[in-house]
Amino acid sequence: MSDDIKKYFNGLLQKVSGLYVIQITDRDGVPLLRVSHSQEKNVDFALMPSFIPTFTTACDQASKLGLGRNKTIISMYSNYQVVQMNKLPLILTFVGAEDCNTGHILALEHQVDGYLEDIKLAVTEP
Amino acid sequence: MEQQLEKVLSEIVTQQDTVGALLANRQGLCLGAKGNINPNVSGIGTAISEQVAKLEPNSTVPATVCLYSGNKRCLIQKDGEITGIIYKQTTTASTSIGN
Repeated sequence: MSDDIKKYFNGLLQKVSGLYVIQITDRDGVPLLRVSHSQEKNVDFALMPSFIPTFTTACDQASKLGLGRNKTIISMYSNYQVVQMNKLPLILTFVGAEDCNTGHILALEHQVDGYLEDIKLAVTEP
Repeated sequence: MEQQLEKVLSEIVTQQDTVGALLANRQGLCLGAKGNINPNVSGIGTAISEQVAKLEPNSTVPATVCLYSGNKRCLIQKDGEITGIIYKQTTTASTSIGN
């Protein structure tokens, strides 16, 4: 099953031009699945110990703005863009080039839901 | 600020057979949508137009994509920074292929 999921996410990575990494972690940043273009830029910063917990904190704070639960945070940098989705207990992180199609990444959200359910089960089981 | 954009979209959806219209920026993010169209298609629409533009890289005329599906049509055109997506639906029951 794990191979199927990895294959699926690898397929997604090919579909969006300029996308470097798709990463699924738990809310503490523990990596569960990571697919990347091996020949592309080094984007190991997405696995830095402070990276995911910072998103989790920002997401919790953004949820207090009175606009409902925060779902997605898009961060634009000079060389990268990072799209992080709150799918608790999972965090979905996309890292792409600065000119990557953000709308296309956001449109993947509903497509991946089915596959995430299987991973969620693995995380929540005692 | 986006009044002009809204005006253009309103004009588009009043055209014959048009059911929805959407404008997206270079990042594939929806700038505005009118009628029966899902704003989430902005990203995929922009991606399609970018791929099609690669077929004729030296062309100065913006490419137009037309996707046929049943009695609906999806028109996509990228012009500079902006991509326009229009959904059209033919109301007449009989359509002739010969035309």
